[in-house]
Amino acid sequence: MYREMGLANAPPQSSQDDAALLALVKRGNEHAMASLFDRYSAVVYSVALRVLRDPASAEDVLQEVFMQIWRSPDGFIATRGSLGGWLAVVSRNRSIDALRRKKPTEQVDEMVLAAPYNLANESERNSMMEKARGVIDKLPVEQRKTLEMAFYDGLTHSEIAEMTGEPLGTVKTRIRSALTTLRKAFQS
Amino acid sequence: MSSTRHIEQEDLALFAMQLLSRDESATITTHVEHCAECRQQLAEVQGDLAVYAHTVDIHSPSAQARERLMKQVAREKKELPIERASTTGAGSGYRTGLDGDRTIEDEPQRSFGSRSFPWAGWAVAAGLAVAAGNLYHERDAMHGTLMRQSGQMDQLTADAASAQQVMDAMTDRTAKHVMLVKAPATPTPPVPQGRATYVPEKGTLIFLASNMEPLQPNKVYELWLIPADGRNPIPAGTFHPDDHGNASVILPPLPRRIEAKAFGVTIEDEGGSQTPTLPIIMAGS
Repeated sequence: MYREMGLANAPPQSSQDDAALLALVKRGNEHAMASLFDRYSAVVYSVALRVLRDPASAEDVLQEVFMQIWRSPDGFIATRGSLGGWLAVVSRNRSIDALRRKKPTEQVDEMVLAAPYNLANESERNSMMEKARGVIDKLPVEQRKTLEMAFYDGLTHSEIAEMTGEPLGTVKTRIRSALTTLRKAFQS
Repeated sequence: MSSTRHIEQEDLALFAMQLLSRDESATITTHVEHCAECRQQLAEVQGDLAVYAHTVDIHSPSAQARERLMKQVAREKKELPIERASTTGAGSGYRTGLDGDRTIEDEPQRSFGSRSFPWAGWAVAAGLAVAAGNLYHERDAMHGTLMRQSGQMDQLTADAASAQQVMDAMTDRTAKHVMLVKAPATPTPPVPQGRATYVPEKGTLIFLASNMEPLQPNKVYELWLIPADGRNPIPAGTFHPDDHGNASVILPPLPRRIEAKAFGVTIEDEGGSQTPTLPIIMAGS
């Protein structure tokens, strides 16, 4: 699986944690920037590609997100080890913005993530990915599809309700239920 | 949704995914800012979404993407901040505070000025360097100019001293003026003679006379410049001969660029005249 994800051929991961790399980036260390890119570019790019379905546009988002790190590393209010999570969500939001052709929303970039796992650690990150996929695969199809439409397609609950013919409340509940199931899987 | 009640989880999820209207988002933003419990809930939803994002099929970006980024990074090189104590080790660094007193980093926050004007220091330094360079070159140029002007001054001083010496010799009443002429076969009495040197372009005139006869009291010799264009004679100075009959008119005030047809000398009342009084006792052209 990791071979499929391209992680087997990834450059050796630095033992430095994200905070240390960000501190170096803040001091203008380009090698630290390269290390962060090598660590998280695949996830950022893949999320953007999933939303935009266009490699060139996805690489534009990739560039934009990492340049944001370079320009203002202080902007990352990160739970220890959650920079990867933050980047994944920011990549999704930037891609949705690109899809809607609207200006990037800073509000969500300033988000705080509660993340108990250390995504900077490659093995922990891979383990989390595998586990999350397993949880999502086991979700009811309606929940999985609804969450997918909201997260990756950027459809509002009203749009989803209109497309699926389900009541608004049902759409909202499905999204919440899917996320709750995912959370509980990691709490257990 | 209400600003007084907690935000429902469903709405927090939609808010986190930017799927609410502008008004709904604004309401939640305001509420979350003041509600630690909802802030905590939102952080957990964001964490859930981060996990969900990692379920995507992973594809590696092209090698060109990395190259592109690093080129851009190199283009936007940062200034190196002043070294300060910072701890980025495993036991410190980034922590989250979902209870409102979160810490970004143990490292002190940069000041507003340094955040707002990160290049200001370097810009000022560069400006000073350029200004210093300009000042150096200006100083160098001024030094060269000064040296050239100093040399010119020395030359002018020498010229002026020489000219003054000439003037002093010509106007010194004790100077002996001797005119040498072809030796006559039979002795003849000396006749008055005058030599005018005139530069029309500059209006410069030097007149030297010898063998001039003494004048009656209240009388004076007056030199005249007779223009070539037919205008009236122009007074060119008065003079009294010394005991040896020598006299001179040096640099009288004359208009420039007046071509002279001839020069003449008359005898006028003391103080001179604006028109010559005949007869003209000396003339030359």
